[in-house]
Order: sequence, then C-alpha cells, then structure tokens
Amino acid sequence: MKKYSILILILSFTVSVNAQDFAKDIADAKSSYSAGKLADAHFSLEQAIQEIDMIVGKEVLKLLPAKMNDQASVEKNDQVTANVGFVGATVHRSYGDTTGSQVEIISNSPLIASLNSFLNMPLVGGMMRNSTTKVVKIQGYKSRLEKQGDNQNGKPNYQLQIPFKSALITITANGMDENAVMSFANSIPLDKIAALIQ
Amino acid sequence: MKRIIFLLAGGFILAVPATSNGQLLKKLKEKANSAVNKAIEGKTGNETQENPNSSSSSSESASQSGSNRPVNKGGAGLKNTAPPDVNAAMDDATKSFTASSYSDARYSVQQALMGIEIQLGHELLKTLPDNVDGMDKDTTQDKVVSTQWGWNNMTIQRVYSDKKDKQCTITIGNNLLYSGLVNAYFGNAYAVESNGKDQNVKQVKVQGNKAIISYDESKGYTLIVPVGQSSMVVWECINFANEDEVMNTANAFSIDNIKKTLGEK
Repeated sequence: MKKYSILILILSFTVSVNAQDFAKDIADAKSSYSAGKLADAHFSLEQAIQEIDMIVGKEVLKLLPAKMNDQASVEKNDQVTANVGFVGATVHRSYGDTTGSQVEIISNSPLIASLNSFLNMPLVGGMMRNSTTKVVKIQGYKSRLEKQGDNQNGKPNYQLQIPFKSALITITANGMDENAVMSFANSIPLDKIAALIQ
Repeated sequence: MKRIIFLLAGGFILAVPATSNGQLLKKLKEKANSAVNKAIEGKTGNETQENPNSSSSSSESASQSGSNRPVNKGGAGLKNTAPPDVNAAMDDATKSFTASSYSDARYSVQQALMGIEIQLGHELLKTLPDNVDGMDKDTTQDKVVSTQWGWNNMTIQRVYSDKKDKQCTITIGNNLLYSGLVNAYFGNAYAVESNGKDQNVKQVKVQGNKAIISYDESKGYTLIVPVGQSSMVVWECINFANEDEVMNTANAFSIDNIKKTLGEK
C-alpha cells in the first residue's frame, strides 16, 4: 500500500510539473505571438501539445489492465514517449517478463490516420479473412486479429490491431488462445481511451 | 512495429505520386475540357448568338430528357472561413487543460497552431517576388494550407505565369517524411546517375543549399531544395527552355528568408 501511495504521489507530482510546463509553454506562445515572433510562438505551442500528449499517455496507462490473461504487467517497462515531429505519443506496457506480450498505443498521429486507411482496406491492409487473419469487433470497434505462429511451448501468438481516426492500439498477445486475447481486449475501456487519444 | 513503419513509408511513397498524378490528371482534364469548349464555340458561336433561345432550350431539354435528374447550373460556392483567433484558442486551451479536458485542450492548441501557420504563410507569400523571369505572380492561385498537426504538411503555394504556356509553381512546405526522403537521397548519390546522356535527375545547389532537379516530358522541370530539418521548397516549371532558366528562377527567391520565416536553420 505504501509502495502504491508513493507511486501515486510521484505520478501526481509529474502531472503537476507537466501542468506548469503547459502553462509556461502557453505563456511563452502568447508573448511571442504578441511580439510578432510567429515561429517562436509556433514552437511553444508544439511543446504545449507534447505536454498534453505525455499527460494523456500517463492517463491511458492507468486505464490499461494490470494483467493479460495470466501474465502480469511489468511496471518498470511502462513508457510514454513523444513521437517524432511533435505528433502524438506512444504508450507502451508489457506483460510477462519474457513473453513479449504488450500493448502499444500510438495517439494523435496524422501518420497513423494514413496507416489506418490502409488497415481498413480489405486487399491492401488486411481487413479481410484468410487462414491467419480475420476481422473482429471489440466493443463495437472493427479490429484486425492475426495469428502469428506459436511460441516455444506450442501456444499461439496473436496480434490485435484496433484502428481509430488518428490513433492505433496494437495488442501483442503471445502464448494464449484467441478467447483469452478477445477477453483481454474486451477488458480494456476502449471508449475512455478513445476519448483521450484522439 | 517494423511492419507499421514499412506500411507508413509505403503509404507516403504511394501518396506522393497519387497526389501529384491526381493533380496532373485534373489539369489535363481541365485543359482537354477547355480545348473542347473552344472548338464547340468556334463551330457554334454564330449560331449561339443568332439563336440564343435554342441553346438555352437545348440545355433545358437535355436536363429534362435525360434521367430527370436536375443539373447544377450555379451557386455561390463556398466562402473562405476566417483563420482561428490565436489568442482566443490559447485561452480556451488553458481553460480546458485546467478542467482536465485534455482532448479539448489539444484541439484548441491545434486551432492556435493553424491560425499561426496561416498568418505565417501569408507573411511568407508577401515576401516572395512579384515578377520572376518574365512571369508575373498570379495571386488568385495563392494558397496557404495548414493541417493543424503542427507544421506537418503545411503548404504555401504561389504560381507565376507569362499568361501563355510558361508557368512556375513554387510550393514551400513542411513534411518530415518527404524532406527526410530527400535528405536520404543525398546520402545515396551513387544511385542518382542513369547514364550521362539521359540523366533526368541530378544534384545541384541553390544559394549554397543542396538540391535535386529532375525533368519529365509531361511535367517539365522539378527542383527541390530541402530546407532546415523538415521543410522543402519545390519549384515546378512548365515549358522552361532549359535547366539554366529553372535555376535563374529559383535564384530569384531568398532561401535564407524562407528559412528564417519558418524558423529553420
């Protein structure tokens, strides 16, 4: 309990620091804009967006389940990284020490918006059915489930991609059957995450 | 993740020719329509003037005798919306952030970015020359496009024309992926030359900046200068006699000024 209290305290402090960063970025942007320094104002606003993306990323991490089937999350690997070019962030959580199972969420990215148009095309992106791929619905969101061979114990590996308008959730579930993957995906509060990441 | 990067790269590589081909096809279609219309006017112009009612009645009968579907004959079109109020957007962003409405805060900051980019685009257009190599600017084709994603795919465009066949379109844009591809090109110079006689892509310099010039029979000359870390200036020159003309045109613009306005080094 003490460990979680300290963790919550650190996270709160981080959010508080980020709030100050955001306020500073907006203040810098306003003063640059008033002075006619448009490029500087532009840069400060890009920094502000990045602050928001990092905070949103941390909020999304809180919403992700602590376990994927019988694989516990590896807290030390939790990560929120700003994407290149000030566009969105990538949220990462891994499960199981050696399984390679993970959830990765790329948020607020125009590049992902283009990728998702591919994912949604039956022939090109694979929103189709064949021996390894099929389209499923997770809480009403059309998703692409792909079987990616088996692990060393002969259990199947799956990858589930859930595209949004400008975000993508990729679940890599290694060593579990399809029902377990679907059950895990359905345990993620997608509506809440979608509201944050777009 | 590697697959995602591969698809992204593929997507943009496909998107570039798709976009440019789409624009070229549109231009060809417009030219073809224009030629056909001129031919029809030449043949029927007198008849039209003598029988104005027949032309209007024939168009009415065409609209009626077809599929009974009405044909659009006019409209006011769309009005340009004013760019976002930057200060108001920044205030909204602060309020939303304080209320922990991060999605709304993000949207407001993006609106502020869009407002700044549009202003910046207009400022940059004002600094471009009025006349280049005997071609006057055509302000009716000035464009500033902001995608609100913070610089990415921001585009500023101006067209110069001699009112005949010669035209130059300058596009100043910011695109991390495209400019990265152009910069990667310079790192693979051995792949540039096909054979000395028919070389249609080569490296040149514009005001000390590395550039690529290419030639295509259907498109004319294209000169690309990557600027700073993520911007590019592109000149598309139609019916230019040779590459020296293209280079003279490009040198009429100040790359340093463009860099400074975009905040690039």
